[in-house]
Amino acid sequence: MRVPMVTVKRMPEPGDRRSQRSFLREIREFVKGSHRPRLIIDLSRVEQLSPESIDLLLECVDHAERGDCAVSVAGASDQAAVILELTQMTSVLDMFPSVAEATQGCQVHDFESTTPLHAA
Amino acid sequence: MEMGALVVTAGGEAGSPAHLPSLWAPSWPVLGETVLERWIKRVQSLGVGLVSVVNRDSEHANRVRTMVEWAREGVEQILLIVLGSYAEIDLLDLVRFHYEGQNRVTRVFDEEGPLGISLLDRGCVLTNREKADQDQCLPSSRYDFLGYVFRLSSTVSYRRLVEDALQGRCEIQPAGVQRRANVWVDETARVHPSAQIEAPCYIGAGVEIGAGVVIRRSSSVERNCRIDLGTTLDRASILPNTYVAPGLHVRESVIDESRLEDLARGVAVDLGAAGLSTRVGTRPRRPFRQRSSSPAPASLFGG
Repeated sequence: MRVPMVTVKRMPEPGDRRSQRSFLREIREFVKGSHRPRLIIDLSRVEQLSPESIDLLLECVDHAERGDCAVSVAGASDQAAVILELTQMTSVLDMFPSVAEATQGCQVHDFESTTPLHAA
Repeated sequence: MEMGALVVTAGGEAGSPAHLPSLWAPSWPVLGETVLERWIKRVQSLGVGLVSVVNRDSEHANRVRTMVEWAREGVEQILLIVLGSYAEIDLLDLVRFHYEGQNRVTRVFDEEGPLGISLLDRGCVLTNREKADQDQCLPSSRYDFLGYVFRLSSTVSYRRLVEDALQGRCEIQPAGVQRRANVWVDETARVHPSAQIEAPCYIGAGVEIGAGVVIRRSSSVERNCRIDLGTTLDRASILPNTYVAPGLHVRESVIDESRLEDLARGVAVDLGAAGLSTRVGTRPRRPFRQRSSSPAPASLFGG
């Protein structure tokens, strides 16, 4: 039986514009180079979501939809989860309590290690 | 026979750390009027003209002095209300009980204990000057109240009282005009024609409800709030002078200016940092980008 594959990508720190730009570029390339990928954005290091973080997630979903990619978020703090629900991001993103739960039963790839494969 | 009423409020504003659930602040209105205002009305309906409100944090000596001065001036009975609950007590019955029993101090209890409401005789105040506002120190009679009582403790209890009032489970009457069954809207509120208002709900004075807003399941919007385009309020209360950004889904929460308390999760979030809510009149920080283009809010609140 084929084990579904998921890729985990960590959300950049709020306020770090450079990392945010590179995050989006990497997502775009990842979606382009994959066939119906499943992506999990790890929010465990994000205490509270800023407007920039919400914008970033929206852009991420936008790119993912174009590439038939399923995007989920995992590990959101209570505060971040409240913002995700409030802004209705949960209507376009599945939300898991932790990365472990989001990847249960799946073959997990670290985003950085898979990027060169897809880019090749 | 003259009576005076001294109402001791619970103190200042709700002051919890930003991320923790808060206590009920006495300044929070419940469908247009604070619990304090409702108590004062209840007392005045008894014909009591002498009403004084003091803060619990203020000098103990000042409170005692007020009571002693009243007693010296001939006030026969003093109703002492330490504001910690909303209780639909028949004050006339309490006075009758006190008078018929020739009690010096009568304290009101419910199933959970004392409610902080006492009736004291003039003589008792004059002979126990130091302890006059600490009725638990004085020998007293017990008046058991079995009616509607709500202790003012947390934001969760605030929401429950709002729901009880909107669903007719208590005597609280919303301050607005009943536009249709169980929908109260103040005459000065402006509601966009495309907004969906589902009963029961309350919209207070000076409120502006934008296009496409949905208000449902016992939600309340207190005075001078502005709810922007397409936002949904679902079992939520918005406290006075709060602006709520467009496109949000506010569920089982209380928002006080920039502070949201999610009652289901038991956490508080600062929405000001995310530009999602703020005090009316202050410029919100850059709100998050909308997924669909929307007309400028200002044009929709024009009149």
